[in-house]
Amino acid sequence: MSIQITSDLQENIRNFEELFSDCEDIKKRKIKVGESLGQECYIAYIEVTLSSVDFKDSAVGKLLGKLRTLPEQELTAYVKENIEDISDSQPFPTIEEAAEGMLTGDVLFFLNGYNKALKIPDKGYPGRGVYETESEKVIRGSNEGFSESIKLNTALIRKRLRSPHVKVKESFAGRRTNTNVDLVYLKDLIYPGMLEEIEKRLSEFEIDGTLDSGIIEQLTERKKYSPFPQFQTTQRPDRAAMAILEGRIVLLSDNSPVALILPATYNTFIQTSDDYYSRWEIASFTRALRYLASFLAMVFPGLYLAITNFHTQILPTDLLLSLAAARQGVPFPAMVEVILMEIAFELLREAGVRLPGANGNTIGIVGGLIIGQAAVDANIVSPIVVIVVALTALCSFAVPNEEFATAFRILKFMFIFLCGSLGFFGFLAGLLAVLIHLSHLESFGIPYLAPFVGADLNGYQDERDTFLRLPLEYLKKRPVYTREGARTRLRLYKEKEKK
Amino acid sequence: MFADNWKISLRQIRRLFIMDIFGMSSLILPGILSSMSGADGIFCLLLGMAGGILLLWLIGANVKHIKKDYYNYMKETAGQFLADIFMVFYFLYFVTLCGYVLYQITTLSLTWLLPDGSYLGVSLLLVLLGVYGSARGIEGRARVYEIIFWFLGIPLVIMLLLAMSDVNTAYYTPLVSSGLTPLLQGSAAVLIFLLPLTALLFLKPYCKKPEKMVSCGKTAMTAVILLNLAIYLVLLGVFGKNTMGVLNRPVITLMGMVNLPGGFFTRQDVLMTAVWFFALFALLNTGIFQGTLVLKELCQTPGNRIVLWVVAASAFAIGKAFFDHSFLMEAFEIYQTWVALPGMFLILLFLLFLRGARAGRTERKGGNG
Repeated sequence: MSIQITSDLQENIRNFEELFSDCEDIKKRKIKVGESLGQECYIAYIEVTLSSVDFKDSAVGKLLGKLRTLPEQELTAYVKENIEDISDSQPFPTIEEAAEGMLTGDVLFFLNGYNKALKIPDKGYPGRGVYETESEKVIRGSNEGFSESIKLNTALIRKRLRSPHVKVKESFAGRRTNTNVDLVYLKDLIYPGMLEEIEKRLSEFEIDGTLDSGIIEQLTERKKYSPFPQFQTTQRPDRAAMAILEGRIVLLSDNSPVALILPATYNTFIQTSDDYYSRWEIASFTRALRYLASFLAMVFPGLYLAITNFHTQILPTDLLLSLAAARQGVPFPAMVEVILMEIAFELLREAGVRLPGANGNTIGIVGGLIIGQAAVDANIVSPIVVIVVALTALCSFAVPNEEFATAFRILKFMFIFLCGSLGFFGFLAGLLAVLIHLSHLESFGIPYLAPFVGADLNGYQDERDTFLRLPLEYLKKRPVYTREGARTRLRLYKEKEKK
Repeated sequence: MFADNWKISLRQIRRLFIMDIFGMSSLILPGILSSMSGADGIFCLLLGMAGGILLLWLIGANVKHIKKDYYNYMKETAGQFLADIFMVFYFLYFVTLCGYVLYQITTLSLTWLLPDGSYLGVSLLLVLLGVYGSARGIEGRARVYEIIFWFLGIPLVIMLLLAMSDVNTAYYTPLVSSGLTPLLQGSAAVLIFLLPLTALLFLKPYCKKPEKMVSCGKTAMTAVILLNLAIYLVLLGVFGKNTMGVLNRPVITLMGMVNLPGGFFTRQDVLMTAVWFFALFALLNTGIFQGTLVLKELCQTPGNRIVLWVVAASAFAIGKAFFDHSFLMEAFEIYQTWVALPGMFLILLFLLFLRGARAGRTERKGGNG
């Protein structure tokens, strides 16, 4: 049952303070206003969200200053006429709504004789500001990254897409955290039904708290047991803006620097921002390299096992002999050897992530060089396995999206078991299983393997931006997940002139 | 949205059928044709293709009258009883095909990839993969083969081109020397390998542009016959008629002999087995899918799951029977030559005849009236 805000300030204060009893971080002040200071108002805010203690420079301070110059009988009318309609302020009719408004980081203002509470924005919660992204580094392009403030993040997208067609739909997730969730999209580009689908999925759960976009991601994914992510994630505003320009939807969650992009396909996970900023030759080369890396990150140790344990006839005799010589004295079967090294590498990776920056790097060097060398010297593993594991690790790092690369890291172990016990047959069976799985997988109705499958839906145009990134002038159409009739993204006037 | 509409594109149909027909035909036909008719196997392939065109014409002539699906069309044209009999015929064809393909793919894996493996283990894993592939319907299946089409096609073409340097053209003679009977038998064998094209009859409800479906089948068949022709010419030129006739799967033996430039890989047969592994799996999947579709309609069951497992279990049992009792292989050859092949043509002809007769009767009635 909601408590209505009345014209009686004392009653409102009583109700409000009852709701926020034992909350020392919430500052509540009664302040006299009016020409002769004969009227009372009340403000409440979270300690750090107001820019200065004496309010001088803040919006609230200026409002209070103004109210002190007006006759008492005109105060309510002034607030109604001049403050209520200011875009940033918002009136609330109930105590609960007002409380929620204050918890978003704004100041709450009650006035005697005025039956609403006003939310007046100020500094808001403390945040990091705009910093360089830790992941998704690019050689060319902006280095700005998302931060934990959703308002800042939407602004960073707006900064790049200065169009009134960019819409930001706000909702809240988390019963206790009341986290802001924004869906950012270009109204005239999104495919019909896509927005409704994500809204439906967001409304399908109620959870205590969503402290990161990862929770929303997991709760709205359809194939929960798939190792492959069905949302693309990014910390780069330019990547998010690019996705919006392709008719996709960006989901931002407050307190999370990671934006979710939907729909996502295998191809979108392999693309990076600078693919489009660099010349097409180098973009195509690195794109093809990343595709190869994603494949090898999954199968390379398995293939090594299949060939060396089952199908040695493939390799030339010299190579075979040197492989055998390298393994001499190693007490473990090749599969155990590979698993040991892979686990050791995963441990190093995990330790490197958890440790502070400089220590993390040290762990990498200590692990990679010293432990690897010591393991080889002690005849625990053969040097060739160290090379195989290191190359696999390089491949997984070359996949631009961390969540996507994780899928290959997990599947790698499946391939090690299959190839180690069934040879090349195990490899083919595993590959088939992954292919079938990927072909069944969809992200918001879009096949995960698009545009390699269903390319006909967009006149085979999307295939121009897959293994190779053709010159920009060939990429005239937006991908298939854009609304039909709005798929032209590039018009060359030179061509028209020629005609 | 685009996915989950249970419809597949023409490109997907084309690639699916190329995979379906290519795997088995390229693996087994060269040996059969070589032992039957030597260099005249080329003519067998061409005559078989002519038979395939006739089959596709019959399919096309019937498909254009299908309103809902093939079973309903048969019921409307020939009545419930005959339609049920025809469906049983199709079910038997697809389920035995499944078993046969499973046997072939398992023995292929055991010969080239896992010589110490157990038949049961390999076969079971393949059936489970087949069920997984068919469980989500035709879309997922079509996507798999749309993806891997070029990954398998390009290495195959490269290997064939490399193998051409070992071709001895003297093996291409004598031509037109095998006589009419071996030529007809060879052509019938080719036609038997084209019979999976009859799956087109059941695809109308799943195709985005059903009016162009049969022409896709034609393209697929032409591509496969041309590829088989190239393979046959290379194999004949490399091995000669007599050696090829005794080789179990000459095309894979050839892959093991090709020297890659640079000489890093000494033998590619294991790697190239992937082409036939995936192609045979495509046909296995088609068999399971079609068998499930036919049995589901025949039994009027609402869900797919039980029927799918029944078909998979039957295929597994049939494959094991082929493995354990070699005489069943001969029985299967007889069944394919004398029951399946004529049956496919006769059913389609019979349905067309009934339709034509009914249309004539209606016309006469209209004229009299």
